[in-house]
This record gives sequence, structure tokens and C-alpha cells, in this order.
Amino acid sequence: MLGKRFSRMAVGTVAGVILMAAAACGGDTGGGTTASEAPAGESEGTLKVGLAFDIGGRGDKSFNDAAYAGLEKAKTELGAEIKELSPASDGSNRGDLLRQLADAGYNPIIGVGFAYGEDIKKTAEEYPDIQFAVVDSASNAPNVTGLLFAEEQGSYLAGVAAATKAESGHVGFVGGVENDLIKKFEAGFVAGVKSVKSDIKIDVKYLTPDGDFSGFKAPDKGKVAAEKMFQDGADIVYHAAGDSGLGVFQAAAAAKKKAIGVDSDQRQTVKESNLQSVIMTSMLKRVDVGVFEFIKAFQGGAKGGTNITYDLKVDGVGLATTGGEIDDIKDKLDAAKKDIVDGKITVPSKP
Amino acid sequence: MTRVGKYHVALVGVAVLLLLLSLVRLVSGYDDITSSGTFAAALLLAVPIGLAGLGGLWAERAGVVNIGLEGMMVLGTWFAGWAGYQWGAVAALVAGLLGGALGGLLHAIATVTFGVDHIISGVAINLLGPGVTRFLSEVLYKEGTQAAEAGAGITSSPAITSPPPRVSLPLLSDGPDLLGRLESTHWFLLSDLAGILRGLTHNVNMLVVLAVLLLPLTFFVLWRTAFGLRLRSAGENPWAAESLGVNVYLIKYVAVVISGAFAGLGGVFLVFVSTKYVEGQTAGRGFIGLAAMIFGNWRPGGLAAGAALFGYADGLQLRSSGAVTSFFLFGAVLLLIYLGQQVRRLLASGEPAEMVTRGARQYTMMAAAAAGMVVLFWLWLTVDQLPNEFVFITPHVLTLIVLLVASQRLRMPKADGVSYRRGEQH
Repeated sequence: MLGKRFSRMAVGTVAGVILMAAAACGGDTGGGTTASEAPAGESEGTLKVGLAFDIGGRGDKSFNDAAYAGLEKAKTELGAEIKELSPASDGSNRGDLLRQLADAGYNPIIGVGFAYGEDIKKTAEEYPDIQFAVVDSASNAPNVTGLLFAEEQGSYLAGVAAATKAESGHVGFVGGVENDLIKKFEAGFVAGVKSVKSDIKIDVKYLTPDGDFSGFKAPDKGKVAAEKMFQDGADIVYHAAGDSGLGVFQAAAAAKKKAIGVDSDQRQTVKESNLQSVIMTSMLKRVDVGVFEFIKAFQGGAKGGTNITYDLKVDGVGLATTGGEIDDIKDKLDAAKKDIVDGKITVPSKP
Repeated sequence: MTRVGKYHVALVGVAVLLLLLSLVRLVSGYDDITSSGTFAAALLLAVPIGLAGLGGLWAERAGVVNIGLEGMMVLGTWFAGWAGYQWGAVAALVAGLLGGALGGLLHAIATVTFGVDHIISGVAINLLGPGVTRFLSEVLYKEGTQAAEAGAGITSSPAITSPPPRVSLPLLSDGPDLLGRLESTHWFLLSDLAGILRGLTHNVNMLVVLAVLLLPLTFFVLWRTAFGLRLRSAGENPWAAESLGVNVYLIKYVAVVISGAFAGLGGVFLVFVSTKYVEGQTAGRGFIGLAAMIFGNWRPGGLAAGAALFGYADGLQLRSSGAVTSFFLFGAVLLLIYLGQQVRRLLASGEPAEMVTRGARQYTMMAAAAAGMVVLFWLWLTVDQLPNEFVFITPHVLTLIVLLVASQRLRMPKADGVSYRRGEQH
């Protein structure tokens, strides 16, 4: 009897262990490495560029894909050998990815997304001979280059476009997560709107607090927040909310109003035809330009320790014109852009 | 208390709540407290939580703790997205149900057949869900596939081809929209009632109707049929059930698979709202559903109330940060009612012996309630706009408080979480 019970217990325990192991495997495959190209031999002199994606990884139609476009350009134009890795869905293995690339002899190595800030710093200290770059985060070690974007300047133009186009004198902003990065979008947008009409009403809503990144992945919440703004009379809502922006577009389509996309040209990347037509324009963030220029500069012998800001001057940010809905106010936008580039207008980066 | 008495208490409670909401809206001036938009949003946010909670209810009533709901929900979202973009909404519904049921089956095999600790198996499924779906996405949605052409990525599926049908109540919330007109007059009570009704009936997803109907259906099956009695007996005392010839293993299997299917259905609903699968869109709703079920004392009605509370708080928070401050007033009035009740009971109580033993604790409670009321009222008067950090956590704090108050009288199924082996008497 005792033996029987023991064997049952053993079976139960083993089954539990197997289940856990299977779960761990699942996590691994999920988070694992998606190598597109195996490094072909360690030939001296070839440029080997490693890139680690942010959560979302390759194929997000936005931020990460833009970074990949820059990497691919380096491959074709600079003859670089490239490798890119995606983190686990919770992003817990960012540091491991960087070390993996460093151990495989990649130099330079690029981390995409502000969340890489700390991991890049640690890895850069462990591998002082390798050059690193991090998108959306400042340089924090002598061999790290910070690739920053003047989101507030691009958002300023989006604000100008929204205020000019909004007949009701009421616009809105939906931010995904209330952190310093997204606040830059808000600050620029608000400044741009106020530059056109100082008494215009601006609704601002963030979906989740700082640290809770689910706000970038909650289309339902984006929809609820934008719905409220449209019901209150807003004409145009600008979002900086990642995948939650989809909900903003849906709300705009339901209310027969307009929305402004973010990061990439969303009128092209969003495939639903009923949603495409509500996207008046998108605030472009040219991560591809940033990544490519960094690789090019590295080839030219540039060293890290500094930040490079991609702003309106170098077209690191800007507005998309797909759909032609802002063509009629092009003069106004160009004038605003020129004022910013010339330094006549300083766009705030904090709301 | 008789059944009729209970029913009356519930009715009176709802009426008082409505009156309070209406009053708070009038005093604070935030129309969003009872607007149709808020209640539509509340319904939208409450349904997935409620479905996850229903899933938990089925499993736990049969004696299997199911903290794997989140993982099963994730499976539901992925399969709904995958089937939905190819074959439409109905296929999405079926695939999501099956995906969730698959997670449930796994949980049943581990816990019922192999006697694995329920928590361990549940945690494993919570890890497995996101892992498996990410793997499937990487295989099926990678660059160059047809799905990627249609808009898929590693973290999202293409949009589902035919959105589920939506319904409205004719005349009242559609067409002439009588309720909508009544709402916009902002009359005391009448407009509030109209707003709530319109929010719950205007342009509602068919799946919402289905989900709401599942509540009475669950009650009927579990509490009014022989099958339900057997299922609950498996959760209360499986050895007694076994001695009466009930196949407890089979019952538990059925219950846990249904539980997974319900969680999967919650996932399907999320996909319907976003029109596509987005990685991480469940955002812990499986766990909140579990909390709603515990709050509801392992009963469908209470569970629905818990889900509604959470959905409402979240919806209001998303729509109007300012309106959240009026919860202070709401809380203060609630405490006032509580105080009034206590005082009345104290005055009416005719048994001095009991008074002595109970007295000290009761007086402390009343004093605390009175102090809380004053503080809340003062906060409402002085605080204009809450810092955003507080607004974000309101739904969670509110749920926590209510759970705290309610959990004093909760009773879980007696053999919940016990590893049952046939033939081993306890």
C-alpha cells in the first residue's frame, strides 16, 4: 500500500516536473533567438553588426521594423554582416542577448528601445572593446552611443497640423505609458497646437502609469479613452501608444473623425482599409536613419560616449504625407519646421 | 433569510446604489459617472473579467484550483486571432473556445490524473500560454508568409475578416434613441437610469449578450441539475460523492475543460474588441477574474458584481480622471449609511448580554467608519484633481477594499485544491 502510494506520488511529481520543463521550453522558444543569418566565419575586417530588438521584435510594423530597415540598408550599402535577436515577451533576457552577440564577435551592437539602457551599460562595461548603441536612451558608458530622437519636434508639427485641421477647436492626445519618453510627445504636441490657437481645448489621457507597459498593448483601453474624447467633441486625436493606437483609430472610424499615427507611416502599415482613411498623418520617427547613420559612422572610426539626436534638421522626425490629407497646409508646416530648425522656436520636451 | 428576502435586499441595494450615483453626479457635476459611454466602457472591460471568473467558478466548484486562467485566456486570444483572420468571427469564436479548452485539458490531466499540485500546474500553464503562442506566431506569422502580407507580425495577427454583429434595442437605444435623448437632459435619477440602460444596450457586441446569458445558465446548470449537484459534490466532498457512485475523475475533467473554454471565450472577446490578436492583450485579466470570483463567494451573481465593479472603475478612470475624485463622496455616503444602520441596530437591540461581549469591537468599527467618513468627505472637498498615479490604481484599490470588506464571510468549496485520489478515504 505504501509502495503504491509512493509510486503514485513519484508519478505525480515527475509529471509536474515535465510540465514545468515543457513550460520552460515554451518560454524559451518564445523568447528565443530568431537568427536570420548565421555568421559566416570570423574573417578579419568585415563589419559585423548585431542588433537586439525591443519587446515586440521583428514584424511589429513599427519601431522594430524601422530599426531592421536601417540594419538591412547597412548590409546592402556597407556590406555588413548582420544578426538580429528578439527578446522574450517579458523582455527579461535583454542582457543575455547583448552578451550573446558580443561573444559571437559582433561589433558594433545596437539595442533598440529605452528599456535597453541599463543592460547596455552593464554589458558595455564587460566588453570595453566593443562599441554599443542604444535607441531612445542616453549614452551611459564611454563605449555607448545614445541614439535619440527629437520626438517633441515631430509632435509639434503634428500639433500644428491637428490644430489647423480641427474645426471644432478641440483635439486629444492618448499616451500609452506615462513615462518621460511619451511625455515628450505630449509636450511637443501641446506646444504645436497652442502655437496655432492658444485657446484650443486639448484632452490628454495616459493608459497606464510608468512601469506598466501594458498600456502599449491595450487596444480596448485606447478605444475607450479616444471614444470619450470624440464624444466630447474632439476632431483629431494623436496617439503615442504603440498597439493601443489601433483602438484610437477604431474610435475615430466609429465617430467619423480623424487620428494621427506615430513612429511609422501608419496609413501604410495598418492593413485595415476602413482604418487607413482615418489616419490623417503620422509622426515619423526615423529609427532606420538613426541605425544606419550610426553604423556608417562606426565604419568611419567614430567612438561612443556621446549622444546623437536625430531632429527635424536631419529629418530624423517628421510627418508622413500618405493620403495627401495635409498637402493643403504644407506651407504652414514647412514654416513651422523652418522656425524650429533655425532655432526661432524651442519646443519643450516636458509637459 | 428566505430566498424572497434575499432577492428584495438585492433590489433595494441596487436602487440605493443608483440613487447614490445619481446624487454624486449631480453634486460633483461629472456626467461621466452615469453616462452611457461609461457604462458601455464598463461592460466592455467587465466581460473578459467575468468570463475568466466563470471559468474559475466551474473549476473550483469541482475542487480544482485554476490559476492557469490567464494562460488559457492567452491561448484563446491567439487561436481566435489565427482562425478569425482566415475564416471570420464564428471560426474565431470556436477556435478560441477550443484553444482555452486545450489549456483546461492540460490542467485536468496534470491535476486530476497525475495529482500535480494545482498551483504548480496553473503556474506552468501561465508560462506555457505566452510561450506557445509566441512560438506559433514566429512560425506562422514570420516575414514572407501570407499572414504577414495581410498585416501579421510576431506580436499580432491580421485583423479578423468579418467583425461580429452588433445589436441595439430598437426604439429605445437605436433609431429614435429615446434613452439617449432622456440622458442628454441630465435630469436627476431619470437621466442616470437612461444613461445606464443605453450604455448597456446600445450597439452591443453579440458576444456580450452571450456572455451575460452564460451567468444564469451557469447558475442553472450548477445549482438546479443533477449534473451540477455531482459537480459541486466533487468540490465539497469527493469521497462522499465517490461512495454514491459519482465518477469524480470524469466530473473534474469536464469541469476543468469547460473552465478553460470560458477563459478562452474571454480571450475571444478581447480579440473581437481589438479586431485582432495582440500579444499581451490579456494583461492579467485571468487573475482579476479569479479575484472577482473569490469576491463573489464562488457564486455567479457575486462574480458578476465583482467583474462589473472592476469594469466600471476602470472605465470611469479611462474616460474621466476628474470623476474619480467623486468616489470620495461616494465612499463617505456609503460609510454614513453603514453608520446609520449600526446605530439603528444598537438602539433596537434588546439583548444586553450580547451587547457587552460585542460592544467594544462594534464601537471601534463605528468610530473607524465615522473617522473614515470625515476624512473622505474632507478629501472630496479639498482635492481638485488627483495625481495620475492615484487615478491609475483606483480600480485596484477599490477592488481591494471591497474584497477586504466582503471577504469576512466567504466560504470556498471545502475540497477546493485538494488532490483527490480514487479509493483513498480521508
